[in-house]
Amino acid sequence: MENPLSMHALFHIGPVPITEPVVVTWGIMLFLGLGSAWATRRLTMVPGKLQAVLEMFVTVIDDQIRDTMQRDPSPFRVLIGTIFLYVFIANSSAIIPGIEPPTAMIETDAALALIVLAATIFYGIRYQGLRGYLSAFAEPSWVMIPLNVIEQITRTFSLIVRLFGNVMSGVFVVGIILSLAGFLVPIPLMALDLLTGTVQAYIFAILATVFIGAAMGEH
Amino acid sequence: MTIDWWTLGLQAVNAFVLLWILSHFLFRPVADMIAKRQEAATKELDAAHAARTEAEAALTDAKAQVDAVVAKRAGMLEQAQSEAERDRQKALDAARREADKLRTDARAEAARRKAAAEAGMRTEASELALNIAGRLLDRLPASARAAGFIDGLAEAVARLPQSTRDGIGTEGPVPVRAAVELSGDELEALNARLAQVLGRGVALSVTVDPSLIAGLELDAPHAIVRNHFRADLDRVQEELFRDV
Repeated sequence: MENPLSMHALFHIGPVPITEPVVVTWGIMLFLGLGSAWATRRLTMVPGKLQAVLEMFVTVIDDQIRDTMQRDPSPFRVLIGTIFLYVFIANSSAIIPGIEPPTAMIETDAALALIVLAATIFYGIRYQGLRGYLSAFAEPSWVMIPLNVIEQITRTFSLIVRLFGNVMSGVFVVGIILSLAGFLVPIPLMALDLLTGTVQAYIFAILATVFIGAAMGEH
Repeated sequence: MTIDWWTLGLQAVNAFVLLWILSHFLFRPVADMIAKRQEAATKELDAAHAARTEAEAALTDAKAQVDAVVAKRAGMLEQAQSEAERDRQKALDAARREADKLRTDARAEAARRKAAAEAGMRTEASELALNIAGRLLDRLPASARAAGFIDGLAEAVARLPQSTRDGIGTEGPVPVRAAVELSGDELEALNARLAQVLGRGVALSVTVDPSLIAGLELDAPHAIVRNHFRADLDRVQEELFRDV
């Protein structure tokens, strides 16, 4: 059995090795891009079923952001919505035979977590100013500065590890069961992985919202 | 376990590209459509609210107009009733006056007819009395219808004022009317009685007038001395009329 944590370059573009998570992510991007363009090609004032589903999805994302941040959700809608959709689709890609979810690789999770970290810093400085954002690290006292800095790093790291651990473990377990039991036995575990993937996508998106909201301070 | 930094970087770039793709093809169009619908709904609600406000204002105006019409109607009814009452009272007064006038006229007419009837009856009664008296006197001798009245005439002349008595006979014969023609004795007796009461003799011009029924009448310059039944009956009739 191959180590699920190991990664091999499928091909190279110049010096850049193109690994499977990157290729699968491109596939997901293509799927989401084409699907979105097709689904939103004819939006009308009286929505059809598909448009109603899309509007409900956007509305739910907005409501979650509004409930968490107590702010207008429009500046954060794209970031949070994209994170959720990508993580959800990436986690669910495990049901396609031969496809390993990109989120089962720590590089993908780290990239997402670093984007969240960058967004946290960006929105924190944008809404509080540089001094205000930095002074937030001295809350409630300057003694807390090291702990707050460490918290900033560890919670980003926790984002990475949580998503990576859950998805990778699922893939790992399915791989082990598949190698030991047979073709159809891992199906219940794959279904469980779908549920776990959905929950992890939601958790990742909500935690990103919470971190960004916390960085912006009280409204 | 090692981290492939190329993969990490590419995935980060992929994530940014995916952000742009979904922003451009999914989130922005859908959010714009939601906002557009909300705006349209808000406009519709505002329009509905404005229409409702307008309708309520129109309803209030209509109620005010209805109230005004009702008040005007009530005023007109009251005015019409008062005018009708006034006209009715006026007509009633006019009718009452007309009835009073008719009643008064009727009473006057009845009184007038009653008086005329009574006058006619009296006239008939007096004529009847004259006829009765004439017929009774016709059964007496002619001398009784003249001689018996000579003394009365002389006494009546005697009661005249002196100046009147002095004027009798100064302007010619004294006109004397008799119910029947006087005989010589009666004329002589009349001359004698007049000469006695006047203190002098006067010439007489005797004429016959049967309407006197019985008696004599002397026509002095300033007085008429009557001593006959006709005068008596006329006085009786006058007295009867005066009593009525």
